[in-house]
Amino acid sequence: MDINNVKKQWQTLATTVEAVDYAVSGHDYSLSLERDKVRDFAAFMLEEGFYLVDLMAVHVTPAIEVVYQFAHVETRCRVLARAFVDDNVEMPTISDIYQGANWHERETRDFHGVVFIDHPYLHPLILPEEDVELKPLLKAEAKLKDVEAIRRQPPEPAPEPKPKAKPEAKPEPPKSQEQS
Amino acid sequence: MDEQKKSLLNVHSYTKECIERYDGASSQQTKTSDAPPLIRMKLSDAIFNLCRANSLWPLTFGLSCCAIEMMCCGMARFDMARYGAEVFRPSPRQSDLMIVAGTVNRKMAPALVTLYEQMPAPRYVIAMGNCAMAGGPFAVEANYDVVLGVDQLIPVDVYIPGCPPRPEALIEGILQLQEKITGKRFPLPQNKMPKGA
Amino acid sequence: MSMNVEVLEDDKHHRYVLNMGPQHPSTHGVLRVLLELEGEYAMNLLPVLGYGHRCHEKIAEFKPAKSFMPNTARMDYLGALIYNHGFAQLLERACGIEVPERVEYIRVITSELNRIQSHLLWYGAYLLDLGAFTPIMYAFDDREHILDILEDVTGSRLTYCYFRVGGVSKDIDDKFVTSTRAFVKRLRGRFPMYEDLVNGNVILQNRLIDIGELTPQTCARYGVTGPLLRGTGVAYDIRRAEPYSIYSKFDFEIPTETKGDCMASFLVRFRELEQSLRIIEQALDSLPEGPIMAAKVPKKLKIPAGDYNSSVEAPRGELSYYLVSDGSDVPYRLKVRTPSYSNLSIVPEVCQGMLISDVVSAMGSLDLVIPEIDR
Repeated sequence: MDINNVKKQWQTLATTVEAVDYAVSGHDYSLSLERDKVRDFAAFMLEEGFYLVDLMAVHVTPAIEVVYQFAHVETRCRVLARAFVDDNVEMPTISDIYQGANWHERETRDFHGVVFIDHPYLHPLILPEEDVELKPLLKAEAKLKDVEAIRRQPPEPAPEPKPKAKPEAKPEPPKSQEQS
Repeated sequence: MDEQKKSLLNVHSYTKECIERYDGASSQQTKTSDAPPLIRMKLSDAIFNLCRANSLWPLTFGLSCCAIEMMCCGMARFDMARYGAEVFRPSPRQSDLMIVAGTVNRKMAPALVTLYEQMPAPRYVIAMGNCAMAGGPFAVEANYDVVLGVDQLIPVDVYIPGCPPRPEALIEGILQLQEKITGKRFPLPQNKMPKGA
Repeated sequence: MSMNVEVLEDDKHHRYVLNMGPQHPSTHGVLRVLLELEGEYAMNLLPVLGYGHRCHEKIAEFKPAKSFMPNTARMDYLGALIYNHGFAQLLERACGIEVPERVEYIRVITSELNRIQSHLLWYGAYLLDLGAFTPIMYAFDDREHILDILEDVTGSRLTYCYFRVGGVSKDIDDKFVTSTRAFVKRLRGRFPMYEDLVNGNVILQNRLIDIGELTPQTCARYGVTGPLLRGTGVAYDIRRAEPYSIYSKFDFEIPTETKGDCMASFLVRFRELEQSLRIIEQALDSLPEGPIMAAKVPKKLKIPAGDYNSSVEAPRGELSYYLVSDGSDVPYRLKVRTPSYSNLSIVPEVCQGMLISDVVSAMGSLDLVIPEIDR
């Protein structure tokens, strides 16, 4: 797998590609995708030899964000790709490309209610059959945050150096030795 | 989600049906819902209870972490075989003791009640571990799936606290169950309670 | 031998749906598998999960991140220290806390002891499924020695909560070092007995060889990692590929096999025991002095906004924690990617057309712990 080749292809498939500090965040690249490019992206990653680590959802405004994580077996390259669901809370499935996504997508449907189009068997996986409408991991109104609140903030600029201070009050005289 | 939450900490949809079947079986009651024998003779009762207490056959019902300590208890170091309880049967029809070792959740509750009903009387239940006693570390506000204590579903005879309880605690639980069945604790040296207990 | 019997479309009414679990001696927890049987051959398998679901991810959104450490141990109770390690590492990376060197050595030694203990339990339980009652007794005997060593220093036998963000809770002493060295010597002496007793046994070979063959491409499509992937010939171990803690300082091999069947993953796990012993010896030889807690760990640990990932090598495969934070000390979302989840998902494809007894053998070689699948 040639990382430069792969990155070039990512520029065409993804809207943003960001290199991330592994020592802090534990992954190498973070990508944002359009919903219609998700399947092409997955097919490309399978061809390049990446395996699907994880598929999960985060409930933010304006829409639920679905996060895919891939990693490579031979060279160290851990990639996170995100896409937003549409207004009907739907997302195309990648379970015909990566069969492991079959169960991950069922679980995401259980917890967040995201419906994956053309999934072969979208029944509850972890919750009981009767609890399809429970959607436990959706946030209550009070706790729901905007997507910008969970993005990495740029480091704060260094505080401006203070202007030279006027001579301050005299320093305190040293405590006398008589106090004992 | 809020209406669900209100009912969470008490009773769930399937478990409610299970509780209705037992008509208020709770931890306070010591009698089980099994029918008493038709003919009772004191001497034969005593002999049968002695035999039952010394050959309790547990059902393999390890649900999570406590199951490993139950397995350790059956192995060479802690050895439940000394007390007659090492024959773990996979089928409830052949067992008379159900050691609920682990967390019971709403999906598992009907299965647990079905297994309890399939056991022939006289049958006993040990709730092993904090999860089976009262929900354990999962009895928090955020919980939506865990049944808080197996005694909401079936009558329990002995509770063993711990997360997970040591194998020695499980052996003590079995000895207490023997005491409950026969009325006394056997005067063997290894069965003595430690001083101050 | 696993044979793929032709699907007889017209004769589907001969099929019988058998329910295996959720209470079953061989499913290692509360797993239910619906088997559509054609005689003794399992034509279709449908695992049904959720019988051990305990709402861990929801609980993580209500507690400060530091307090979630005990819950990590309840997910996989056999590899509890390694789950602790992954989570402590996640928070330390996110908040920029540097861990003293002695802590790293202690973490590695206890994690490798935990890995050995997990493999010994798998070994005993797997052979018990196949019908051998003796090896589990020996395996549990060895395991009790490890539990004694770890109990002295952590206080628990099974669900450890020993690591903290920035260090460990209690220091190790000379007794720990001498008893660990004695244990390493003892276990090495037991390997010939295990090999004689089990590995050459003709029944074991007939039940394990050529059952459930995997290829590296199948593993990539399902996300299978750990000894199963190493049994297909791919030498992928997170301790070598993305070295965390101080694993880059130690000299250890990554055992691989080529065939990808049950026997391959069996032998890989068995050989990993020796490699873990090597790591422990090297770590004990070069154990430095020093503090056991980082200098400044705030009581209220605010995690900067953003998303963080931490991957470690659990006994079953790759464990990844993914944390999304909005700047406070309570996580916004925590996802735990557990290895058994991906390992179990191959069963409908790989076990199709097998005899029921081969299904039991294949599922045992996956080394499943169901609470970590259901979380």
